Amino acid sequence: MLQVNDLHKKFKTTTAVNGVNLYLDQGESVGLLGPNGAGKSTTISMISTLLQPTSGDIRFKGGDVFKKPDVIRPVLGVVPQEIALYEELTAYENMHFFGKTYGLSGEKLKNKIDEVLELVGLTDRKKERVKNYSGGMKRRINIAVSLMHEPELLIMDEPTVGIDPQSRSHILEMVRELNRKKGMSILYTSHYMEEVERLCDRVYIMDHGQIIASGTKEELKSILSSEDTILIEVHQKSEQFIDQLNEHSLVQQIAEVDTGYKVIVSKGADVFADIFEIANASQVKVKGVHVQTPTLEDVFLHLTGRKLRD
Amino acid sequence: MWSVFNLQWLRLKREPILVLSFIAMTILFVLFIGGTQGEQTITVQTFSDQLTESELDEWVDDLNNTSGFEFHVSDRETIENQLKLSQISYALELNYLDYHYLVGQDSFFINAVNQHVEQVYRTKLRISEIAEQFPDRSIELKDYITIELESLANSVSSSDEGGAHIVSGMTLYFVLYTILFGMMNIAVEKRTGTWDRLIISPLKKSNIYVGQLLHYFSLGVLQIGICFIVFDQFLNYNFGDQYLSIIVTVMAFVFAAVALGMLLIGIVRSPQQLQSIIPIVSTAFAMLGGAFWPVDLVTNKFLQLLAKITPVYYGTEALKDAMLYNAGVGDLLQPISILLLMGVLFMGIGLNLMERTK
Ligand SMILES: Nc1ncnc2c1ncn2[C@@H]1O[C@H](COP(=O)(O)OP(=O)(O)O)[C@@H](O)[C@H]1O
Ligand SMILES: [Mg+2]
Repeated sequence: MLQVNDLHKKFKTTTAVNGVNLYLDQGESVGLLGPNGAGKSTTISMISTLLQPTSGDIRFKGGDVFKKPDVIRPVLGVVPQEIALYEELTAYENMHFFGKTYGLSGEKLKNKIDEVLELVGLTDRKKERVKNYSGGMKRRINIAVSLMHEPELLIMDEPTVGIDPQSRSHILEMVRELNRKKGMSILYTSHYMEEVERLCDRVYIMDHGQIIASGTKEELKSILSSEDTILIEVHQKSEQFIDQLNEHSLVQQIAEVDTGYKVIVSKGADVFADIFEIANASQVKVKGVHVQTPTLEDVFLHLTGRKLRD
Repeated sequence: MWSVFNLQWLRLKREPILVLSFIAMTILFVLFIGGTQGEQTITVQTFSDQLTESELDEWVDDLNNTSGFEFHVSDRETIENQLKLSQISYALELNYLDYHYLVGQDSFFINAVNQHVEQVYRTKLRISEIAEQFPDRSIELKDYITIELESLANSVSSSDEGGAHIVSGMTLYFVLYTILFGMMNIAVEKRTGTWDRLIISPLKKSNIYVGQLLHYFSLGVLQIGICFIVFDQFLNYNFGDQYLSIIVTVMAFVFAAVALGMLLIGIVRSPQQLQSIIPIVSTAFAMLGGAFWPVDLVTNKFLQLLAKITPVYYGTEALKDAMLYNAGVGDLLQPISILLLMGVLFMGIGLNLMERTK
């Protein structure tokens, strides 16, 4: 359905997208995972025909989207990263207007508004002005507006940034339904790996304008098949502890997490004794040490040496 | 296109404060500077050292024959006192063969008074010699020993001229504000992403632009319409009867203003920048273009030249010609086509800049 080949976008000073290849088949739910500034939004802008690529091509159902934007536009839904709504108008009015821009009218438009309002769970607040909404409600209407014309392909650019957990799980559940029940194809962009892990069949991991890894979740995690992830929980963090761990020959990557450190080591390496020894030497009290199954976050850590959220 | 157009009206209905306050400001400023016209009477204190009491009474009766003026008989001493205390601005001294004004303060009305007095003098005396003694500028100012006198010869336009000038200048000035500030919405839409939503919808880009611009165009015409109706119906300003000329001029001016808005949006990088340059541009254009005072009063050649690049200049001049001198659309072809030309030029450059920064 969608093919992106060797896509580049150079701005004056930066190269935001540097050779991206990706594809998406009908009915798939694909994740685009990467930290802030990776080039996700820029990639999406190009796919949605808003931004002309410096080079490379984007094909939708076989046709070049820039030569024939009329093929993709009517069936594409884009949920922008920022809230793109008329805030002085009500949710209903926003949906009504954007529905009209897709040629809906009359009863059909009204029914569709009701249906989508139900879906995002804001039926009883539809007459309120968007500017009085909470962040989570705005996000939901931001999505609702993009669903008015039942797009075949829905592109979501970090649709859950900065909202309450309740709205967030509502949105995730909704996206899943759209994909599973309605067969909507979804390109889901995020820097939260949990979301992508939960929603997507396949994942592209993006960093510095490039796709650094791609595949199904299992394929990606198998990148870590020769490594173990160890979580060390400590009472107090210490620079010295990190430095010494880093010098250990079997330790590959270290990242700080809330409760302590996450360490990637070669598979099967017996480092437990060493960890306690180093902890003792740097006077760090260890609460616990666990071996974890790898997450996509760990894959990213492994590939880049950085955490997704810095 | 119409859905985009209608949406803007809906948005305006939700947040009308800005537009309403610009309309209110137009009316307030005109009231403040120009006062009401027509209905009010101008009172003139009159005295004579030469005429007898009955001769003076006869003169004053004749002068009072027209509505709009009230001439009162008084004496020199009282009048000098009143002038000194600034209770009155000017007074009329009648002689057998000519007349003078004692002037304490600049007054807007003195020219209107003079026109009237001159007319009465001419008809009453019917002496051609005297007509010759009264060329166009017949106000003679007398240096009065204790009273500060100022030359008025150049600085006062007739009251009608002044009125028409204030009405058209102020209306165009504030409509420029409404249009430019209103069009900030376009820049904001580009920032918040609703513009992008429209672009990726099946709507044609040209329809989006036309829908938007048509809204600001009709808003501008509507605002001028409301102001002019208020001035005409409630404040008794005289708009003449060349309505078509006025309407065509207004439309040409509003078109140029909307185009100017596009140019500014194309130039700036952010809505904030736009917000800060709008007052500068509107006020500079209005000042240079003579919305506040007629360009004729400006002696500096360079400033006169600058006036000619502002739409405000052509708008004000054309409106005044239509209101005061009965100019038909044919007579106003020059200013109107210059306005349209400016519009096309601004719009072309603006659209190009806007599409390039995308
Ligand atoms: N219009 C633009 N002009 C210049 N640089 C830009 C522009 N848009 C994005 N960038 C830069 O491109 C890079 C990628 O940005 P973006 O695509 O927004 O990343 P992401 O969505 O993954 O956070 C960033 O370094 C950003 O500063
Ligand atoms: Mg982004």
